[in-house]
Amino acid sequence: MGVGLPRLVGARVARREDPRLLTGQGSYVDDHRPARMLYAAFLRSPHAHARIRRIDASAALALPGVAAVLTGDDIARSAKPVRAASKTPNVKTTSYPPLALGKVRHVGEAVAMVAAESRYVAEDAVERIVVEYEPLPVVRDVESALDPASPVLHDEAETNLLVSREFARGDVDAAVAGAALVVRERFRFHRHTPVCMENRGCLAEYATGSGALTLRSSAQCPGLVRDILTDLLDMPEHLIRVIATDVGGGFGAKASLYPEEIATCVMARRLGRPVKWIGDRREDLLATTHAWDEIVDAELGLNQDGTIVGLRAEVIADVGGYSIYPWTAAIEPVQTISFLPGPYRVPTYRGRARGVATCKAPLGPYRGVGRPPAVFVIEGLMDRAARRLGLDPAEIRLRNFIRDEDFPYKSPSGIVWDRSSFTESLQKAREALDYKAARDEQARARAAGRWVGIGIASYVELTGIGSAIPVSPGMPVSTGTEAATIRFDPAGKVTAVFGVASHGQGLETTLAQIVGDEVGVPIEDVRVVHGDTDASPYGTGTYASRSLVLAGGAAILAGRSVREKMLVIAGHLLEADPADVTLAPGRYAVRGMPDRSVTVRQIARAAYSGAKHLPKGLEPGLEATRFYDPYYGTASNATHAAMVEVDRATLEVKILRYVVVEDCGRMVNPLIVDGQVHGGVAQGIGAALLEEIVYDDQGQLLSGTLMDYVVPSACEIPMMEVHHVETPSPVTLGGFRGMGEGGTIGAPAAIANAVADALAPLSIEVAELPVTPERLFRLTRKAGA
Amino acid sequence: MKPPKFEYHAPTSLDEALDALGRYGGDAKVLAGGQSLMPLLNFRLARPAALVDLNRVASLAYIREQDGQVRLGAMTRQRTIEFSPLVAQRLPLLKEATRWVGHLPIRTRGTIGGSIAHADPSAEYPAVLAALEGEVVARGARGERVIRAADLFQTYLTTSLAPDEILTEVRLPAMPAGAGYALEEFSRRHGDFAIVGIAAVVVRAGQRCTMARLATAGAGPVPVRLRAAEEILETEGLGEAAIDAAARRATELVDPDADIHASADYRRHLAGVLTKRALTRAIGVARG
Ligand SMILES: Cc1cc2nc3c(=O)[nH]c(=O)nc-3n(C[C@H](O)[C@H](O)[C@H](O)COP(=O)(O)OP(=O)(O)OC[C@H]3O[C@@H](n4cnc5c(N)ncnc54)[C@H](O)[C@@H]3O)c2cc1C
Repeated sequence: MGVGLPRLVGARVARREDPRLLTGQGSYVDDHRPARMLYAAFLRSPHAHARIRRIDASAALALPGVAAVLTGDDIARSAKPVRAASKTPNVKTTSYPPLALGKVRHVGEAVAMVAAESRYVAEDAVERIVVEYEPLPVVRDVESALDPASPVLHDEAETNLLVSREFARGDVDAAVAGAALVVRERFRFHRHTPVCMENRGCLAEYATGSGALTLRSSAQCPGLVRDILTDLLDMPEHLIRVIATDVGGGFGAKASLYPEEIATCVMARRLGRPVKWIGDRREDLLATTHAWDEIVDAELGLNQDGTIVGLRAEVIADVGGYSIYPWTAAIEPVQTISFLPGPYRVPTYRGRARGVATCKAPLGPYRGVGRPPAVFVIEGLMDRAARRLGLDPAEIRLRNFIRDEDFPYKSPSGIVWDRSSFTESLQKAREALDYKAARDEQARARAAGRWVGIGIASYVELTGIGSAIPVSPGMPVSTGTEAATIRFDPAGKVTAVFGVASHGQGLETTLAQIVGDEVGVPIEDVRVVHGDTDASPYGTGTYASRSLVLAGGAAILAGRSVREKMLVIAGHLLEADPADVTLAPGRYAVRGMPDRSVTVRQIARAAYSGAKHLPKGLEPGLEATRFYDPYYGTASNATHAAMVEVDRATLEVKILRYVVVEDCGRMVNPLIVDGQVHGGVAQGIGAALLEEIVYDDQGQLLSGTLMDYVVPSACEIPMMEVHHVETPSPVTLGGFRGMGEGGTIGAPAAIANAVADALAPLSIEVAELPVTPERLFRLTRKAGA
Repeated sequence: MKPPKFEYHAPTSLDEALDALGRYGGDAKVLAGGQSLMPLLNFRLARPAALVDLNRVASLAYIREQDGQVRLGAMTRQRTIEFSPLVAQRLPLLKEATRWVGHLPIRTRGTIGGSIAHADPSAEYPAVLAALEGEVVARGARGERVIRAADLFQTYLTTSLAPDEILTEVRLPAMPAGAGYALEEFSRRHGDFAIVGIAAVVVRAGQRCTMARLATAGAGPVPVRLRAAEEILETEGLGEAAIDAAARRATELVDPDADIHASADYRRHLAGVLTKRALTRAIGVARG
């Protein structure tokens, strides 16, 4: 890095993508209408569990404007079923056909697909398809699914227990048996779904001449989708292009491969016409992956002084009807037991996880994966222990945090935490809240008969995972690398191309900041291209808080390569030793002689002007592609503190204050970090107080509209006070740590703890989220309020 | 979520509209603001053969005072009501209720006639119509009739309007000068339909109450007038004990249903809480 160069990294640069997105100039799937395009609609199962006896599409095909109808049998002839494999023992691999084959396993599963001249006609045709179902008994929840008498969803698995896994360290049974205090609870984190502003959708075009397939998809992982389509459609990889330019939110739910993407490709290839499917909100709630949905029985043993001696937990996740690609049904429950010990020294541990198939939409990743429930559990136990021991909740955490001298610390599940700021973040959160004053205010409110409480949640999050660890347990797909291509044109402007894909994170801004600093150009001179497998070097996409760490690291490497060449060319042009050339704003100068300099533009022009302008033997051109693999990955951490009031009469929870102190390492752009925290906390508040996917006993979705699946609006989200601790990661290039998910990880636990603290005079614990007014009504009645 | 095919009529007069409606023998629907009807069409839950769009029938949008009533044309937008000086003066309860209806874009399209004809049990306007003992005017092929609030709402989303009738006007008696009023409501998210709402009006003479009105939203299939609770105030006055007794009575008078947001017990509890809050606020602003 040149001395004296104005640093873009660290500056609050306004998001460069916003003017385009906010003025309707985005390029979303639905903005594209190639000539001869057909519109698709899916017939979805009204049954939670049924055998398909017969499908008769003749009346649909007879409707004017209908081009084709596909069923599971048709697809099976041209595409393989998806099988999300895992190398982990005790994770069963099951088939997920793009259109139901023989059987449906949840309401909303795609059964047939129509392509027609308009979506209206397509939906009319869908109504005319006759399906003869033979209803089967509904597997409605994990308890009944594990009953030996229960019907089995996937015959090939021979059981509904698709996942079991255990992590253990030390003799936890002895430790808990000998503990001065044991707190235990059955925690229930209900089913949620991310609700992206842009519903899923895709557009496939098959060029019959060249045999090339282009899929535009509202997806987080264009690279992953391209790779798997190669296999499923039996096509060479270089003939498949997946584009996800602008995507209206993903939150993990668009990180998986979906049946509709495959079916749309098959339809387009079969008809030789572009086919577009845009999911509507009903389809989104029915058939986009759901999340979390876990029951956790947990016990924490402690010494009299509040230090932890052991943690035991049994996690059961309701993984729904299918194991999703590539993450498998293991992702949620296994992540939960991976992260349950939190930022604490837990000397003995046993976490058992089970993933159980039921007749619901598949469970998939959602912002935080496994950690929102894990943090809810461990932080809930910490508060219960603090109450029993008469310790302040902040104090009991401070006594148990992994200390500076413990890093690198190997967690009981085998994760290695690099140097983090657990203690500092909590201390800073206490200061930001003015903890003493807040407790005094609480005491006054209590004396006046009000239910006011303060809740704290601290967590650590594995981010920027490299090739040493699969992102999801046993996943055979390696996701440990990303690449960047940095290319100067002769005019001195930069195009930087990445395999990651931005869907709201502001990567077009942050990656440009990094590139600009590395090669010495202002941000206006950097164009970031992403989300297009034809344009980018090999990569997978954006998920698991990885993009800034991996793509940012690759940008640094590629930037360095380019800069080294620029120094050589500058030396040649300046008749100086390249070792004496330094980078100054917009130009390269001889050290100590600012007058002897060349501009970036002069260097770039020289690079493309042939041998006469270049040092002898130097290859022309000015670009580099570099790959980065952080190998293990790094960690982010934060402490959230919430102050809430429960309305004694209506049982509504009002958030009075919300403080976040987070540490994502070196901050590229604090404005974007704040924005990510705000959005994440908003989703966490939704999870804590409002949102819940509800099925009835027959597997019918009751929360099938946004009137019933209640996501918070701006009115339900309080002002947040976001503070930062900046501990550069010692193990990543640039010192970046990922931070896209954190807000959602901390908020549910902080709010649950605050509500429990408010209701402590009634001895009410919060063991179930969302903690709705209805649940609080029942809890307070039971407690005699 | 695209509607099945339907015929579309856009008349400019009420007679034309009635004529178009009559042609389909009950299989046509009136389109007002579309804020409830369009979702029903898109979900294919409503599949009328035709829509008769009232948005070009200019004569149906007005607010005027006549014979001690405020008369609102069916196509008057909720947004217009929210900012009408006449409504603010004569029907402050209606103004307050309007602010609880959805969000700005919904109120900009949504109409008073549509809200009342739609008869959502959680909607605010039906509760106001019940509380103020208003009436509506309906026109059909057989002429015009006036329907009292008590005779209008039958059950969920069902009124005594015939399929070929158009609700043309809503009539609400002007509130007595100095009457106290309040609409208290609980919903899980700002702008949502009420889980329970209570509309209250009190006319006071010192500590005495000469008239009390209480009506519910969200506490049963139709808006419920809480007459027995009103009587407590009218006989016992406006003291705290009377308010508490009325609130307790309210919980006994409602027979709410359960859904995924709230059990019947919780709704009943809320009916009491909100009755107390509405009465307390109404009494606070009452003069006399
Ligand atoms: C997100 C959202 C939130 C909402 N929140 C609320 C809320 O909190 N409270 C609330 O009260 N409402 C709420 N609404 C509904 C809104 O107020 C609607 O405007 C109202 O229910 C219907 O009025 P409309 O003019 O849009 O009627 P439309 O949707 O056009 O029609 C509704 C029904 O009434 C019939 N109809 C309409 N006009 C007439 C007429 N003149 N004669 C005979 N029949 C007629 C139609 O045929 C149809 O069956 C909400 C709507 C949305 C989309």
